[in-house]
Amino acid sequence: MQTEATPAQADVSELDLVRRCQAGDTEAFDELVTRYRTRVFGMIYNMVHSEQDAWDLAQDSFLKAWRSIKRFRGRSSFYTWIYRIVMNVTIDWLRKKQIKGAGTEFDDAIQLRQVDPASKTVPKTEALPYETMERDEIRVRIDKAIAQLSSEQRAVILMKEIEDMQYHEIAEALGCSIGTVMSRLFYARKKLQTLLRDVYENI
Amino acid sequence: MKTFEEKWTVWVDGQLSGRELAEFEASLPDKAAAEAERASAQKLGKLLKRELGARTLTNEEFFSHQLRERIAQEGGEISRAPGDRRIERSTWWTIPRLLWTGIVSLAVFLACTVLVMREKNPTEESQYLTQILNARVDPVVSPNATVSIFEVKQDRVTVLWTEGLQSLPADYAAK
Repeated sequence: MQTEATPAQADVSELDLVRRCQAGDTEAFDELVTRYRTRVFGMIYNMVHSEQDAWDLAQDSFLKAWRSIKRFRGRSSFYTWIYRIVMNVTIDWLRKKQIKGAGTEFDDAIQLRQVDPASKTVPKTEALPYETMERDEIRVRIDKAIAQLSSEQRAVILMKEIEDMQYHEIAEALGCSIGTVMSRLFYARKKLQTLLRDVYENI
Repeated sequence: MKTFEEKWTVWVDGQLSGRELAEFEASLPDKAAAEAERASAQKLGKLLKRELGARTLTNEEFFSHQLRERIAQEGGEISRAPGDRRIERSTWWTIPRLLWTGIVSLAVFLACTVLVMREKNPTEESQYLTQILNARVDPVVSPNATVSIFEVKQDRVTVLWTEGLQSLPADYAAK
């Protein structure tokens, strides 16, 4: 899996950073946060579709990770471990939101047009207005389609397709069996294929 | 034993191999349609990666700064107690602490009460008895008079024994 680590940062092994964190070194934890903050935020954003909520949930996830870092035994990678925390926090939040029934999950669809979260990664050449509009529409379609999945299916497909995680890593992050991961992936793909076929077939 | 869904997923991801792959492909009723579905699923994957994978965190430094602040807020507890267990205990420790404080306070109160009560006992002699003890018998009126006092504090009994007293002092009744 990719991280944000620079070559200099990569010299310091992840396990070494974790050990320093376990000794109470906040600077080491800060370095781990720097490595994973964007990926964690992106993952949560794709789950909740709200920049503010994703920010808060990412903060809560890292804080929870800091509090429980001493319980990390290094059996899995730090990334898988923190993803488990991220998924617990996010899925729990989504469930509570569903119970409360507060509005639709896509209140930020309009914000997507105002603030382009991918502004740092798109080519520097100015996109034509119709291209921008088209891309925004595709994103809204994707977000709406993902919203129709259960939170567990969402998590599985995002971890597989965006994060390139292996089945066993996803299973570990979600605390379920590999078979469950495969099954959820099957149904998530089928549903998204039905909803988005016209989008990806015409590109 | 994998279910069809599980095998399909692994097949789409290109992770089915050997005998399992051959068996699965042989079990497909329409291999051409299945191949088309697999290609479709792979296109979906590419679309999701392209559109969703590009999302970045704006204000990265502020994110870290805010997190540092939140950790620092908890840091007070951490610096006082290097072990993480103490941090977790910090809330429920207050309950036994309160209990112990209550017990110790009660014990101190009882000890003080007992001490004060003991000190009060010697002064329990009545004022009246003290006056008799201090009274002097006039040697002119009763030259052979003797006065003896027997006191048992535990039983709170005091006996005044007089001998040779010919008459009571005139001011005795007044006292």
